[in-house]
Amino acid sequence: MSVQRKTNPWALQFTTLTIVLIPVAVGINYVGKLIAAALKLPLWLDSIGTVLAAMLAGPWIGAISGAANNVIFGLTADPISFWYLITSIAIGFVVGYLAFTGWISTFGRAIGLGVVVGVVASVVSTPINVILWEGQTGNVWGDALYAALVGSGWPVWIASFFDSLVVDIPDKLATVIVSYLIVRALPERLAGLFGGDRGEVETL
Amino acid sequence: MRITLYVPGDTWLHRLDPMTKLLMTAVGVALTFAFVSAAGGAALLLAFLVVLGTGGVLHRAAPIFIGVAVIAFTFIIVQGLVHPENVQPLFRTGPLVFYEEGLLVGLRLALRLYDILSATLIVVLATNPSDLTEAFVRRGASPRLGYVVMAVLQMIPTMISQTAAITDAQRSRGMETEGSLWTRLRAFLPLMGPLVTSSLIATEERALALEVRGFGSHTRPTFLKEESRPPYAGAVRVASVLLLAAGIAGRVWLGW
Repeated sequence: MSVQRKTNPWALQFTTLTIVLIPVAVGINYVGKLIAAALKLPLWLDSIGTVLAAMLAGPWIGAISGAANNVIFGLTADPISFWYLITSIAIGFVVGYLAFTGWISTFGRAIGLGVVVGVVASVVSTPINVILWEGQTGNVWGDALYAALVGSGWPVWIASFFDSLVVDIPDKLATVIVSYLIVRALPERLAGLFGGDRGEVETL
Repeated sequence: MRITLYVPGDTWLHRLDPMTKLLMTAVGVALTFAFVSAAGGAALLLAFLVVLGTGGVLHRAAPIFIGVAVIAFTFIIVQGLVHPENVQPLFRTGPLVFYEEGLLVGLRLALRLYDILSATLIVVLATNPSDLTEAFVRRGASPRLGYVVMAVLQMIPTMISQTAAITDAQRSRGMETEGSLWTRLRAFLPLMGPLVTSSLIATEERALALEVRGFGSHTRPTFLKEESRPPYAGAVRVASVLLLAAGIAGRVWLGW
């Protein structure tokens, strides 16, 4: 099989393999959340599958995995998650695009990617939180910061952004680092199956 | 093992077709945002509870309602303390002063949370997810969407039992799953790694199995089951739309 490198991450094709990757990604998200809860970690770690799918198969599959994740999570556990569909889609797009432009080529860059994903997740969630809940997130630590900021006269939008950010940065950073370490450790044959090759785009 | 919230049953709500229930949910969510007053929100919640109750799914909704109580409580506390429009102090505990305006905003947010939740539960609790996805595929959505949803619902229980096996295996090799935060964080990777690898290996086999069965075909599939719609579905749809109109009119002219 000859390997031809592609430079455009948006040009990745939908194959049976990449479609089958979507439910696997949602399952990994689900199990990641369960393991995090079982280990009593102060993080959700519920988007590892979305991030992995985006790293392995590009932005489109990443975004679709994110959307499918929230729909299925809404059906199986928490109906409020339908509202945060756009956040998951954004995570899939950002990781998929940046991973294919070299942001997961080293550990240092992966940390940068984690921070970027955390910020993007907060930026996208903030309008949803402001529209639905006056900017609160329902997370105790984030809402404590929100209360402190609004109490000292900050605008609700800014307070809501930080409310989301203090939770999202550590969570998405850990998510991206875990996904990066897993992708690095995957055998060459598996990592290349879905179109990507750990940061470099190629098709079979 | 059941992982969906769906409660099987044979009530009027279960017999309704998925699209009608989806319309009820959409109207419910729209009304939640139409009503600004706490009384309007409470009346709406009561209506949802009647629908869920007569649909025989209220017992499944109860644990979900209890689960979000902490969030609702946080809304009331935080808004009562710091809402920007707070003027009228209502009571104080220690150094904390609770204001009337903020507590009311918090109450409305809590009602909104329960209203949105109950409206969504109408479709989630009383509709089999496979019927719901089938209804979308019938109306032109890609059959691959149907595959994705159904595959996840089947895959998750398998992955959970796989995780249990991996946990036992790693523990027997000396992995610590209790102790300091760092110890527990480090345990995450040896649990997740094997699961991801085995799932990805299975992906390849599954893709091959699907392709030999015509997964890549672009012909529209036919359906095993006919979609059944009870005679009163039309009436429910009309009633939903009328309710929405009445709600908007009430909001505009009566300030509900």
